[in-house]
Amino acid sequence: MKHFKILTAAFVFFFLISCGEKTDVVDSGVYQGTVEEVEADKTEIYVKTADGNLLELYFTESTTLTKDGQTVQFSELAEGQKVEVEVRKEGKRLDPVSVKILE
Amino acid sequence: MFSGDFMRPEVWHALSVHFPIALLSFATITMLISFFIKEMSRRHWQIAAGLLLFAGCLTAWISIYSGNVADGFVARKICDPTILKDHEIAGQTMTWLFTAATLFYIVFFTKAINEQLRKFSIYIAFLLMLTGTGYLVYTGHLGASLVYEQGAGVKNHSVDCEEYE
Repeated sequence: MKHFKILTAAFVFFFLISCGEKTDVVDSGVYQGTVEEVEADKTEIYVKTADGNLLELYFTESTTLTKDGQTVQFSELAEGQKVEVEVRKEGKRLDPVSVKILE
Repeated sequence: MFSGDFMRPEVWHALSVHFPIALLSFATITMLISFFIKEMSRRHWQIAAGLLLFAGCLTAWISIYSGNVADGFVARKICDPTILKDHEIAGQTMTWLFTAATLFYIVFFTKAINEQLRKFSIYIAFLLMLTGTGYLVYTGHLGASLVYEQGAGVKNHSVDCEEYE
């Protein structure tokens, strides 16, 4: 029975850490929030806005990324950073127009 | 046949994803049949179900990887990426359910535990497989919706089909 408990606990643990979280769709506009996750290989970030929405943003060729007014590389982004994002809503897809690293 | 132009990263997901669909659904059906089979040949059905389950699980994880790669290309082009997210979450849930079923199935085949626990483990495995099959259908439905309604991963030809001349 002990093995069963360990097996079940291990499964529940891995299940909870591996399954993704649902994301939200918001109107076009400017939002401030915190970077929850950075996926460098897909140039993608998750931003949790002040009102609790989770935005999944895939950088496009025209997305600008700045810090203190200077253009910076995607590698400058890190989890926990405060950012201001301008998004354009296309259908239910959110295209990031600009991302400013605030701190 | 497999030109570099055809083998785009998102196509690998379409190529790999049909293996777990077939293997895992047949694993569940085979397991179900094994419960109604006579004691003598039941073991053969259980072994067949176990092999299908193991192979299906392996290919499901490969599909998770290929889907993760495809995601970066597809999400930038489709109009409703929330469906893609639901597809991703359902696919991960399904894969974990079948993985857990595989672990309980391995427990069933080991002789380290008593008969009662072995029987219990196969029922748990089957329950997980049934739930997993539900998620498998839902994941497949969402995947089909992405391809056939939003054209995910589909290369559009020109209006006059000039590139095929």
